[in-house]
Amino acid sequence: MLRKIFMVDLLRGLRVTFKYQHPREIYTEQYPLERPVIAERYRGLPRMNVNPDTGETLCISCDLCAKACPEHLIVVESERDPVTKRKVLKNYTYDISRCMFCGLCEEACSTDALELSQDYEIATYGRENLVLDLKRLEAGPEPTEYTR
Amino acid sequence: MVDNDRDFYGQEWKEDRGEKSSTYLDASELVLNMGPQHPSTHGVLRVILKLDGEKVLGTECVIGYLHRGVEKIGENRTYTMFAPYVDRMDYVAAVSNGLGYCTAVEKLINVEAPPRAQYIRVIMTELQRIASHQVWLGTHALDIGAMTPLFYTFRDREEILKIFEKYCGARLTTHAFRIGGCQYETYEGFEKEVKKVCAFMEPKFGEYEELLTTNRIWVERTKGVGKLNGDECKALGVTGPVLRASGVKWDLRKAQPYSGYDKFEFDIPVGENGDTYDRYMVRVKELHQSLRIIRQAVDNIPEGPILAKVPKVLKPPVGEIYHSIEAPKGELGYFIVSDGSLQPYRMRIRPPSFVNLQALDKMVRGLLVADVVAVIGTLDIVLGEVDR
Amino acid sequence: MLDQLTGYLSSNLTPGAAGNSLWALIYILLIFAGVSFFVMLMNWVERKALAHFQIRLGPMRVGPHGLLQPIADAVKLMTKEDVIPAGADKTIFWMAPVWVVLTGFTTLIVVPFGPTHAVTDMNIGILYMLGISSLGVLGIIMAGWASNSHYPLMGSLRSSAQMVSYEVAMGLAIVSAIMMTSFTGYGMYGAGTAAGTGTLSMIQIVEAQKAQHVWFVFKFFPLGFIAFGIFAIAMIAETNRAPFDLPEAESELVAGFHTEYSGLRWSLFMLAEYAGMFAVSSIAATLWLGGWMRPFPNALAGPTWDLAFSLVPGALLLLVAVAAFYNAARMPKHLAMRIQTLGLWGLGAVIALVGLIMLIPAVRVRIADISWFVMKVGFFMYLYIWYRATFPRYRFDQLMRVGWKVLLPVALGVLIVTGIAGLTPELLAWAKGAR
Repeated sequence: MLRKIFMVDLLRGLRVTFKYQHPREIYTEQYPLERPVIAERYRGLPRMNVNPDTGETLCISCDLCAKACPEHLIVVESERDPVTKRKVLKNYTYDISRCMFCGLCEEACSTDALELSQDYEIATYGRENLVLDLKRLEAGPEPTEYTR
Repeated sequence: MVDNDRDFYGQEWKEDRGEKSSTYLDASELVLNMGPQHPSTHGVLRVILKLDGEKVLGTECVIGYLHRGVEKIGENRTYTMFAPYVDRMDYVAAVSNGLGYCTAVEKLINVEAPPRAQYIRVIMTELQRIASHQVWLGTHALDIGAMTPLFYTFRDREEILKIFEKYCGARLTTHAFRIGGCQYETYEGFEKEVKKVCAFMEPKFGEYEELLTTNRIWVERTKGVGKLNGDECKALGVTGPVLRASGVKWDLRKAQPYSGYDKFEFDIPVGENGDTYDRYMVRVKELHQSLRIIRQAVDNIPEGPILAKVPKVLKPPVGEIYHSIEAPKGELGYFIVSDGSLQPYRMRIRPPSFVNLQALDKMVRGLLVADVVAVIGTLDIVLGEVDR
Repeated sequence: MLDQLTGYLSSNLTPGAAGNSLWALIYILLIFAGVSFFVMLMNWVERKALAHFQIRLGPMRVGPHGLLQPIADAVKLMTKEDVIPAGADKTIFWMAPVWVVLTGFTTLIVVPFGPTHAVTDMNIGILYMLGISSLGVLGIIMAGWASNSHYPLMGSLRSSAQMVSYEVAMGLAIVSAIMMTSFTGYGMYGAGTAAGTGTLSMIQIVEAQKAQHVWFVFKFFPLGFIAFGIFAIAMIAETNRAPFDLPEAESELVAGFHTEYSGLRWSLFMLAEYAGMFAVSSIAATLWLGGWMRPFPNALAGPTWDLAFSLVPGALLLLVAVAAFYNAARMPKHLAMRIQTLGLWGLGAVIALVGLIMLIPAVRVRIADISWFVMKVGFFMYLYIWYRATFPRYRFDQLMRVGWKVLLPVALGVLIVTGIAGLTPELLAWAKGAR
């Protein structure tokens, strides 16, 4: 009864919010100045890896990624090299506009060619820029530096 | 657009829908539209209220604004391809959706996930349950007017989402499990981080309670509001914390254990009155119980493989199964009909929010307009699930 | 004209009492500018403080730490398109915000910033303030009616019902405080030699507290405290702030009486709301917390204590300047933040300068009263923000129940018991004399 008169429950609530005012509790990251730390397994923008020694693409055009994708948005164009009888990658198109970033393509890739990098700044100015070709995929993430 | 004499399906307002005979438009009745864009309908839900001054006589929910045809998509994708789509239904608790789907398909092809995978699944699902309840708590408190618990719960949920990100690569649409087990091995320091998060969370739950449970304004707003007793719940098919708050002790984790839940020791909180306050208390207690399960699981993860032998090209035998799990919102069920081919013949999903939403009409009769928002909040609906 | 200007400076009265209309005008303009500046400051403080309660930062980009945010908001609101709903009653539509601002600012004439620092000291000061704020309710009803839409209408009717019902409790609490002015202190509840004179004038009420050597919140403890508590709760409901802000809540169906107002008209409502908060906080500070008096004027008297207390306002400003310097040093060293960092250093320097000026003895003496008063009002503002961050909203019927069934009986009880407590010497004497 006394608790009700003295509004103890309300005072306890007030104390909880008061405690959080301390600047150490603030959890905001001020975005363009402080970029968050992303985990290694994060499924972001895809990239195609190249052989670090020769600079050639690691993709062997097995087409497994295109078959694994639920949205069927990978197109692998290859041609058979008449000398080595192996498939050579000619063009690789990845359409991010429908991509779910589910990671099935990354899992299906038999070499380490296709991986989903940690890039999350994928916004573009036009729809054409959402279809990535091999060059853009090999370039990888390019975070913007802000000056204003 | 709204015909005041007929309901959405063109049928006349039935006699039992309110104290007054509603085939006439009485001058004191008002039809009010809580439209699809509204800050507190938790998504695009349209509720048509029939009011008498301030009191609600009846409601009509119009859903379908978020219908994406997930079940139809399921008929056109293979079983492994469909798993990412399942996360997007209840986007607040994606890991549970994935668990339900994977266990359902495993039941169809008669494969059991190895014990290590089961433990990892339990840990992730319980973490997701905590995160989902935190979202619920924050938004429910915001609807009732307290704006700070939202920030506190979301901030604490960040820690769980960080673990998800480190484990499976995404925070919200996790695609954490695969058919037959887990794809990802636990990362370096997983157990330590999970234990740290548990230790961090426990006092925070106490703080949420400190802010709300005994607060007289909160108690007045939620006690006695939206009563639903056990028989009505069972008649409507309502499951989850709503059912447990009405006094029925039914939890699928104990009644039909799946994925190794029978190895863990935990209580099922049950309420008495079935009002909003009891639902709040049940969910808060479930938070503590989830922590208990996580602590038991993380101490005892067995070694071994994480993925059972499942063929790459999955062709289940002809047949159908229904498997349901205890998602944070209720009973999430998958009914899969397979005709032997790569793609399911029918993928029917029983979303808990869809079935719980039926109870809205019964709960808000005679309440004031301000309570409708509280009741929608306490049902914990996610429109992605309701509409699929 | 010129002698009106200079003749006032040597007098010791308020402009109203001195009959000096030029200085009255100057005071009015000063109060208007001051309160407007205060409103902008409150806007910033509210957003920052609310954000800190909610573990986030609040505006940080617009100026250094968001200091230019109120200006940006004001510019945005003024340049917005002025939308008048179809079918709205145009005259009443434009009159409603004007009315609310008018009544909100007219109450500030009698607010006593110091013993002679009010525009005028009516001898019905407190009654005047209550009356004018009741007139403000009319503006809200006009706003809801003129919008030609049933959501604002319902909201404005609810809001006006709420304000009217809490004015009753407010009035009773005020009456019990006024009664205390006519009771001299006796025994442990305040000593003092002056005979009590009942008064409604704001300045005289503070003078009575000074003469009785007790702040009314502590007089006849706990009666003064309970009356203060009742007023503190009623004033939140009076100004439509959390936890009584159902009429203007966003998550309800009815979005409030100012739904249909955009741009400048809406900013006028906001201005009136904060001015109303200032007015009722100043009533609370005057009636219970001793107005412009420094704490412990009698318990800790003496020249050293006087000196220490008079240094407090300047010291506070210097503290603010130190905080500004500290934050300026901690700003990120990014290219984009150079101008903001410079701005913050500059602001810190200006505040430090003002603080140092306030430490000069000649200035100290004059500023003391105003600064103590403003500090007390600021304390109430902080409480407002704190409540808004913490408490959920009351439903409308529960709100009315609290106002009529809880506050009103308690206020009546406090009133009666205060009367009995105050008249105890006379009652005892009568009882003795009767035998």
